[in-house]
Amino acid sequence: VSALAPIVFLVDDDAAVLRAVTRLLQTNGYEVRAFDSSQAFMDAHDPERPGCLLLDVAMPGVGGLELQQRIAAAGMERAIVFITGQGDIPTSVRAMKAGAVDFLTKPFDRAQLIAAVESAIEQDRSMRRKRAERRSIEERVATLTWRERQVFEHVLGGQLNKQIAAALGTAEKTVKTYRGRVMRKMQAASLADLVRMGERIGVTPARGRSADR
Amino acid sequence: VARQDGVQITAWDAGGVDAKSSARSRPDTGIESNSAQSTVGRIRLLITAAILCVAYYLGVQVGFALTLWPHPISTLWPPNSLLLAALLLIPQRYWWILFLAALPAHLAAQLGSGIPLTMVLGWFVSNCSEALIGAFCVRRFVSGPLRFDSFRHVSIFLLFGVLLAALLSSFIDAAMVTLVGWADQTYWRLWQPRFFSNFLASLTVVPVVLTWVAGSKEWVRRAQRWQHVELGLLLAALLAVCLLVFNRQEMGPGTAPALLYLPLPFLLWAAVRHGPLGTSTSLAVVVFLAIWGTAHGQGPFVISSPEDNARSLQLFLIAIGVPMLLLAAVIEERRQTEEALQASEQRSDNIFRSSPDPIAIIRRLDGALIDVNDRWEAMFGFSRAEAVGRTMQDLQLYADEGTHDIVTRLASDSGRLRDLSTDVRDRHGGMHTTLLTAEVADVGNESCVIAMFRDVTEQRRAEREAFEQRQELAHLSRVATIGELSGALAHELNQPLTAILGNAQAAQASLAGDRFDVVELREILQDIVQQDVRAGEVIRRLRQLLKRGEAQFQSLDVVQLVREVLELAHSDLVARNIKVDVRLSPGLPAVRGDRIELQQVLLNLIVNACESMSAADEPATRTLTIRGQAAAGNGVQLSIIDQGPTISPEHMARMFEPFFTTKRHGLGLGLSICKRIVTAHGGRIWATANRGRGAAVHVVLSADPEAQS
Repeated sequence: VSALAPIVFLVDDDAAVLRAVTRLLQTNGYEVRAFDSSQAFMDAHDPERPGCLLLDVAMPGVGGLELQQRIAAAGMERAIVFITGQGDIPTSVRAMKAGAVDFLTKPFDRAQLIAAVESAIEQDRSMRRKRAERRSIEERVATLTWRERQVFEHVLGGQLNKQIAAALGTAEKTVKTYRGRVMRKMQAASLADLVRMGERIGVTPARGRSADR
Repeated sequence: VARQDGVQITAWDAGGVDAKSSARSRPDTGIESNSAQSTVGRIRLLITAAILCVAYYLGVQVGFALTLWPHPISTLWPPNSLLLAALLLIPQRYWWILFLAALPAHLAAQLGSGIPLTMVLGWFVSNCSEALIGAFCVRRFVSGPLRFDSFRHVSIFLLFGVLLAALLSSFIDAAMVTLVGWADQTYWRLWQPRFFSNFLASLTVVPVVLTWVAGSKEWVRRAQRWQHVELGLLLAALLAVCLLVFNRQEMGPGTAPALLYLPLPFLLWAAVRHGPLGTSTSLAVVVFLAIWGTAHGQGPFVISSPEDNARSLQLFLIAIGVPMLLLAAVIEERRQTEEALQASEQRSDNIFRSSPDPIAIIRRLDGALIDVNDRWEAMFGFSRAEAVGRTMQDLQLYADEGTHDIVTRLASDSGRLRDLSTDVRDRHGGMHTTLLTAEVADVGNESCVIAMFRDVTEQRRAEREAFEQRQELAHLSRVATIGELSGALAHELNQPLTAILGNAQAAQASLAGDRFDVVELREILQDIVQQDVRAGEVIRRLRQLLKRGEAQFQSLDVVQLVREVLELAHSDLVARNIKVDVRLSPGLPAVRGDRIELQQVLLNLIVNACESMSAADEPATRTLTIRGQAAAGNGVQLSIIDQGPTISPEHMARMFEPFFTTKRHGLGLGLSICKRIVTAHGGRIWATANRGRGAAVHVVLSADPEAQS
């Protein structure tokens, strides 16, 4: 989790709107970085910085929806709240499907704006948290040996030690030992905890043979 | 050749109405009808020749009969004159036929009396020469048939056909006689009687023949029955008088000379009432009977030697005949002029009465109505009887009192009114808009104004309605355009509203806290005011476009015009992701026009261009170019150039027609209204295809002449 305070990025081609929204957010205690075009934002954007993006839909050059696509294509994650002067349904549906947090129609008041920004920042925060967690799990998985990884996958498949031993062609006692090492390396408190980690990073569970049944 | 034939036939059938009219109505007819005509002509020619042959023979006999023996020369020698009359009846190129026809008659009549052949032939030559000279001269000076109803024709006839021909041929005749040695008198004494004889014969015979050939058919058809009776009575009375004066034994040299004038009243009667035909016929009666009587030793002219008697008789008859023929011609001429005048007056009167426009004849002196026509009665509701004698002002027909003065004070020299828009009131108070056209003219020796009030009330109303409908349609089209832009316009309003709300709430928050920065607060308020003005401007412009009203022409700056329209369309352009490239040449002249209407045109063209580019669905190349440059002939050409799909030539041709559209929901009125607006501004609008893709619409507006000076 980054230590930096959340920031609100604001992109709107209308200078007056840009100034007013910046002021409104600043007086409500937000740190704001305002840009008058998508290009200016892209040039200055720091994806590591937590916070959200307030984005105007209709702008000359690169429009809001296009910027949203570009951010996704660049592999960046940023909670986006769209603001628009002519909210039409097709546009808002497209924006929401592409993962927008909210769609504000101008003119919006302080309460609407703060609520949208808050929920966007919250979403950004949780996104960042999840990503950090995933990264730490992945780091731990990387420490497993090849054999331990096999046992881990079978455990995720819900198999008993005896079944794993049969599948891997080894003794049940040996499987038990590997299992203990996996639990330790993964810092799992319980089997359930281990399974949750595996699901979080998307490890494919191994499917056991049903010879015994 | 064909034309010549036609003309000759006209000349031939001296005054024949049928031939004349047919020649006139078919001047260039085909060969067929011409050959048909010439067949008829040939038959007539032969008949004429045959009649001449007989007439010539009889003429010689009459000449012999009217000779005052022993004076050898006839007092009246008709054959020459008959030949002359016949020559005047046929085309010149056929004259030789008549000479051939006359020869046997001449020989038959002369040879039996023991005169030598050389003398007989000599006389034939001199006879022919008289006819030839007379006919040739008359043809030379008179085109068409010789008529005795014109002073000019009669003068020419008397001068050449009678005097000159008789004069010259008598020299030849006398010369012949001298050469042959037939007579033993002096040349002068041979010439003189022949001259008078020939003169009198031509004077008497030719008019009778020609007027009867020309006029008989017409006269029989046209004249009333009682006119025939009257002429019969006249001739009978004349006959009686002439018999009384010239053919009675007791009338000797001792009779009172006053009796000689007895035929005169009848000749005058004929001249006044029966024209050239009656006059020449009456004259012939008098001449014939006078000579006949004298030849038989009766009447007042048997005084001394036959030679002297003949001369005084001839002089007497010539002295009566010449003025009578001229008098008849002058009277006939005057009668025809009068008839033509009457017909013309009748026509004018008919035109006045039945004119589709109300017309009044107004006396200039006091403005009183002298006459009004049927339409005037119908429009104003006053009958002619009620109106005549009163003025239009008295009848309270002018909506504006000043009209009366305008009409009555119309100057006589340059005074005329042309389509002066004048309001009039009818009897029942109904108002009419009329176009007054008036002119000064003398009517019955009074200076009058002929005033025509063309009723254009209905026309004006229809024009007004059409104008209002056009305005309404243009307004609807504007509303529709605004409708298409409604989303964009909402955006245009929402921007300043967002800024205002944001600023205001920022200020509130700032005031609620303990730290508030006066400088920042001032900036906030300034922003709020600015954005409020901005929103107001959007609404003002919208209202202007939505307003319905009549066009107000004023001087307009093209740059500003384009900028205002682009501001209205701004959000739409951004939303459609269309880049605008404005290229206006520096120093474009101001144009004259209605701001709203011209904005409507440009907005319509821009919206159209945007729509066609959005349909193209290729975001990379969306640029709308607006180009403004000086146009030929002092104007400004604005071109709206898009990069949409290429327009097919047939669409291009029909683009400006009403109800033509390629849009799914389009009415097809926008461009047709644009065209009407531009045309009403005296400009032009047309479309062209771009070299690459898309189309361009060009508008040419003329520069404001006042702004330039």
